[in-house]
Amino acid sequence: MIPIQAILVFILMCCVWLYFARLRSKLRDRVIVGALFVAATVFVMHPAMANRLAALAGVGRGADLFFYISIPGLAFALLLLLSRMRDLEQRETLLIRELALLRAEIAPLLRGSGVRET
Amino acid sequence: MTARPALFVVVPVYNEAAVLRSTVAELVSLGYKVVVVDDGSRDEPARALDGLPVTILRHAVNLGQGAALQTGTEFVLRSGADIVVHFDADGQHPAAGISNLIEPILRGEADVAMGSRFLRPGDAQRTPGLRRHLLRAGIQVSWLFTGVRLTDAHNGFRALSRRAAEMIHLRENGFAHATEILGEIRRNRLRVVEVPVTIEYSRYSRRKGQSSWNSLNILVDLILEKLFR
Repeated sequence: MIPIQAILVFILMCCVWLYFARLRSKLRDRVIVGALFVAATVFVMHPAMANRLAALAGVGRGADLFFYISIPGLAFALLLLLSRMRDLEQRETLLIRELALLRAEIAPLLRGSGVRET
Repeated sequence: MTARPALFVVVPVYNEAAVLRSTVAELVSLGYKVVVVDDGSRDEPARALDGLPVTILRHAVNLGQGAALQTGTEFVLRSGADIVVHFDADGQHPAAGISNLIEPILRGEADVAMGSRFLRPGDAQRTPGLRRHLLRAGIQVSWLFTGVRLTDAHNGFRALSRRAAEMIHLRENGFAHATEILGEIRRNRLRVVEVPVTIEYSRYSRRKGQSSWNSLNILVDLILEKLFR
């Protein structure tokens, strides 16, 4: 094993450990992440396999193949993140709206009770 | 609907304290029930409105005009509104024009009345040049996204019957809500009419209003809304 292989496998392991330890996710997502980890580790350890796959796809080198695949992959990840952000924004909006409406509802009650509004 | 419908004017406000009092005072003087939605302003609009008989709702953080309008609309529906009018805080909209705006709703001819600054040549000429061209483009974009074609785009002066206000749910927090409303009108098969209105472009409103670059943000929001509906 050459040093860069050890570094890459270590980084991959850290990423997967962080994912499983810190993020609550669905079983389906865990299976996908696990499979991607195994595939990435295999290609790091056996670069010739990536080159053969690249030749099958009509691309010169394995590194080029992964670069090309990473572009739509990143675009997909970005769209997923945007979708998640919009979902969170919707939830935040609902919470802030309910708070505003609740405040308006209790304001007349607070006025007579001596409790200070903030 | 009762003989005298309960009409509420919803005024979304974000850092408009400089002109807010005069805008709201005019509405109050005409006898309208006013609900101001402070969308997380830093300039304390409640203080500017001190002594005026209005209801103030406050968003804890700034969400955007669309979100403020939805909050105000939900509040006035809970308060028994028969007609809801959306009205800008910056003094651009004519308070005296409300009675004309709501006429088609009162007559039962429409569920939504949209103000348009392009129905009368005099009103159209008041609109600054670049803004006029952007609004023309906006009309086409709104048509493309919603299938509803009006003469004006992104005119915030509008009136909704209770039925329409209950059916329209704004999810676009920012300015893209103006196009989203058209989509909601179509989706719910609401009847819409346009009413000529005069928009006053004061020095303040030109400085404080939407920048032309914001058109791009609106377009991006609309695309995202289509993608992630």
